[in-house]
Amino acid sequence: MRRAPIKKVLGILGAISLFGIAIAYSFPILYMVYSSFKSEQEIAPPSWTFNPTLENYRTVITPDLLSHLTNSVVVTLCTVLLTLLLGVPVAYTIVFGKLRRPMAHYNWYITTTLLPAVAVIIPIYLIVNWLGLLDSVVVLVLLYTAIGVPLMVWMCTTYMSDIPVSILEAAQIDGATRWQAFSQVMLPIIRGGLISSSLLVFVITWNEFLFAVSFTFTESGTLPVYMNRFMTQQGLFWGKMSAVATIAVIIPIILGFVAQRSLIKGLLSGAVKE
Amino acid sequence: MLPTKEAALNVTRNRVNLFALPGLVVVLIVTQVPFLITVLMSFVRWNMRRPDLPVAFNGIDNYVYILTDQDFFRVLLNTFKITVFSLVIALVLAFLLALAFNRKFPGVAIARSLLIIPYFVMEPVIGIVWKTLMLSPSFGINDVVARAFGVAPISFFSSDNALKTIILLCVWQWTPFLFLILLSGLQSLPEEVLEAARVDGAGALRQIWSFKIPLMRPFIEVAGVFGLINLLKVFGIIFVTTQGGPGVSSANLPYYVYRTAFYDWQAGRSAAISVVTVILTLIIINVFFRTQRDVRER
Repeated sequence: MRRAPIKKVLGILGAISLFGIAIAYSFPILYMVYSSFKSEQEIAPPSWTFNPTLENYRTVITPDLLSHLTNSVVVTLCTVLLTLLLGVPVAYTIVFGKLRRPMAHYNWYITTTLLPAVAVIIPIYLIVNWLGLLDSVVVLVLLYTAIGVPLMVWMCTTYMSDIPVSILEAAQIDGATRWQAFSQVMLPIIRGGLISSSLLVFVITWNEFLFAVSFTFTESGTLPVYMNRFMTQQGLFWGKMSAVATIAVIIPIILGFVAQRSLIKGLLSGAVKE
Repeated sequence: MLPTKEAALNVTRNRVNLFALPGLVVVLIVTQVPFLITVLMSFVRWNMRRPDLPVAFNGIDNYVYILTDQDFFRVLLNTFKITVFSLVIALVLAFLLALAFNRKFPGVAIARSLLIIPYFVMEPVIGIVWKTLMLSPSFGINDVVARAFGVAPISFFSSDNALKTIILLCVWQWTPFLFLILLSGLQSLPEEVLEAARVDGAGALRQIWSFKIPLMRPFIEVAGVFGLINLLKVFGIIFVTTQGGPGVSSANLPYYVYRTAFYDWQAGRSAAISVVTVILTLIIINVFFRTQRDVRER
């Protein structure tokens, strides 16, 4: 009789402490968002009471920041789109095509995701410089697509090999062409997988720093580049810095909230099944 | 293994292979071709800021230089420390968090989402927030805490502490992703086995040690591989916080490659370090996969 209420209280306490742990873990970011609404005097030294103000945002939202934000959006969206366009057919060919050694292809794509990007940075710098394409959005999109495609292949191969062959056969017996079977039967089945792999590519592209900082400057720099420059130039103004940083991270964090678990399913089901 | 459904669909497929060509070409051009150039460049003497000095073949001089350079070995050791310590700490932490958060309570989705925020934050922001708001000895949380205990704030970026601070940041960044993988794993465990263990009177610790950990092995391995791959490549955090310093005390191989190329402008030497980095990465990943296979076969 008395155990039920005790259990309930323990359950509530457990839930509260788990919330506490989660908040403590992300405290640096939460504190950053919080600081972005404080005036500079209230941040250093930190005071817990403050008058919320949008002053920092008003100061930091400049044409320069907005142009970097636009670059980030354009580069990321183009990359996700191109990655889908190029990656999905590769996965399709690996699973359903007539490659002589499909597993060799699959492994090759996975290996490329393992290798450090610094290993190609000088040649790419020299080539891009030689082509006169330093500081251009096109180069970033191309580089990020090459990072995204192997990831897309990895995840989509998994989703596609989960599709029962009989479904595609049935579609073809019913007189569907190969293209119809692909676009009207298979794509809808793996739609969830496509969305979560696109999200993963989105987050990775949005946050990419090494290539961005090496190949772009003021014209086509993305938010990580802006962030880095802001730190060097105005690193003493923590309130403004927090505001810029909040703007820079808000989109991927929201996407992460939305996607949460489905995000890693594609990576997992392939790797764990064996 | 992935089943390829070659036999199943009996249509002419040769044209289908062309379908994969554009993707293949892009990845090939951006990754493999430049890497071949890197390999060639590693045998060349080339200072990018001195056009007057000819670019010249110099055999294995670059390799001799780095293999006799103390800084290189310091950086190699740092890379090893960052990878191993961050990976082990993050895995243990992620496992404990996964155990704790693998239950239902109101708002569990929100709590989990809060926990995984760091994974979605770009490295420059991670670096900046920790360097200023958190760890700054003057006005950061570091100072608040130190005052509360009446001690002097720790200088997290001194030559003694810089590397440890980098490890701290890496752990903080990667634990959430490993947590997600392990949580999926825990939720996929066969309920009957755990129930049977419970009925047989296995305590909580016993359940974890004798049932959950062995059953979770594939997930722990996947988390390990992901952590390993990404921790070997750490760059942005170092770039923003310590610039590899003081000296090279907190530089890892990727950062050192970058610095040799874009601060010292030694293209050839930097290429040689890249080649060594790639070879080491391949060796480490192979060893990792092989030990896993051995453990599984045993």
